[in-house]
Amino acid sequence: MSHVYQAITLIFVLLVGWNMWEEEKFVKQLVAILVLIPFILRLLMIK
Amino acid sequence: MIIKKHKSQWTALALFVGLAILLFFASRDFLAMRKDPPIYPGPGVTRVVKLSTYYPTIAGTDDDSEVYFLEGDERGGTALLVGGTHPDESAGTLAAVIVIENAVVKRGRVIVIPRADHSAFTHTQPLEAYPQTYSIKTPRGERVFRCGSRHANPVDQWPDPLVYVNPFGQTLAGEEARNLNRCYPGRKNGYLTERLAYAIVNLIKKEKVDIAIDLHESSPEYPVTDTIVAHDRALEIATEAAMNLEFEGMEISVEPSPKNLHGFSHREWGDSTQALALLLEVANPAQGRLRGRTDSSLITSGKDPYYVRAAKEGLLYVPFTSEGHPLKERVGRHLEAFSMLLKVFTEHNPVKGVTVTNLPGLNEAMENGLGLYLAPPSS
Repeated sequence: MSHVYQAITLIFVLLVGWNMWEEEKFVKQLVAILVLIPFILRLLMIK
Repeated sequence: MIIKKHKSQWTALALFVGLAILLFFASRDFLAMRKDPPIYPGPGVTRVVKLSTYYPTIAGTDDDSEVYFLEGDERGGTALLVGGTHPDESAGTLAAVIVIENAVVKRGRVIVIPRADHSAFTHTQPLEAYPQTYSIKTPRGERVFRCGSRHANPVDQWPDPLVYVNPFGQTLAGEEARNLNRCYPGRKNGYLTERLAYAIVNLIKKEKVDIAIDLHESSPEYPVTDTIVAHDRALEIATEAAMNLEFEGMEISVEPSPKNLHGFSHREWGDSTQALALLLEVANPAQGRLRGRTDSSLITSGKDPYYVRAAKEGLLYVPFTSEGHPLKERVGRHLEAFSMLLKVFTEHNPVKGVTVTNLPGLNEAMENGLGLYLAPPSS
C-alpha cells in the first residue's frame, strides 16, 4: 500500500512541479511551491 | 513573450532551489526523530532483549524495542514497569529510564520496557505544535530525550480505519488503532500496534509477571489524574499503597479499572494474564487543552499561567499554583508510587516479593533534580 501511495504522491508532485515550471505568474509559482512542501516531505517519510 | 517565459522559468528554478534547501533542513529534523536517544544500563541491568523475542512478527518494524532485565540474587517475584506507552507523556518514559540506570534488585526481578510504543516516539502529534525533544542537565552534560506522540507513526501503520473496532468489539475513532493503550490484549494478525500489544501480553505470560505497572501522564482537568488505576485483583494493593503514600504526604487516589472499558492495560493485562495490573497517572499541563505555549520548557518546568487561572476557577482535579508540576515532581511521584507498590506487594506475597534499592523517591527528585539520577551523555 505504501508503494501505491508513494507513486500517487510522486505523480502529484511531478504534475504540480511541471505546471509551476510552465506558469508565468510569480504568485502562482509561489503557491505551487507551498503546495509541494508537505507532499515532498511526505514522500521522504513514507517507508 | 519568449523573454517573459525565460524570466518565469528562472523564478521557478530559484523557487525549486529554495524548496530543496528548505526540505533539506526540514527532512533532517523529521528523520532525526528516528534516532533513539541512548539509555545507559546501570549496575542492576543483567540482560537486554528485544520485545520481538515475545512475538517475532514485530521484529524489524519500528515497534520493536529494548526490554531491560534487572535480576536479583535472591529468588522472588517478577515486576514489569512499562514507560513510553504514550511518548508525549514524558514522565512515564523518564521514570523507566531512571529505573534502568539506577535500580539494583536484591530480590526477584524487574523487567522494564522504557519505549513501549517505539513507533510513537518517531513523530509528534499533528497540529499540536509539540516540541520534538526536551533536555535535562546532568552533572556532566545535557541528556536529550524525545517527546513523541500518543499514537504510532502513520508511516508505520497506515491507513487508519474509519472506525477502530478493538478486540472486544468496542468501537473507537479510527486513529485509536494506533494507540497502544486501546489495543490490548492485541491481535495476533492485526495492525502493527495490535501485534505490539500482543507481544507485551505474551511477555507478561511467558515471564510469569506478578505485578505490571504502566506509567502515564494526564491533563490537570482530567478526573483520572494523580492516581493509581487498578484492576479488580490489584485494588487491595493499590489502596494500601495509596494510603501509605498519603501518610508520607503524597496525595494520590485510587480508581478501579472499569470492567466494561476494554483495550486498556489496567483492564486487559489483568483479565488476560496472571499479573496484577496497575496504571499510574500524574498531572502534566503539557497534556491539557488549556495550556499556553507548548515548548520543552512547559514539559520540564510544568508551569503554565492558564492552568493557575483554571485552578482558581475550580476547573481542575489537582492543585495548580505558579510553581506548576515540574517534570522532577512527576517522575518523582511515579518512582515513589512504583517503590511503594512493590513494597506492599512484597508484604502481601512474601514468597514472590520484589526488593529494589538505589531508587530516588519524590523527595530526592525534588531536592536533587533528575540530572543526578541520569548517566552523563556518552557514558
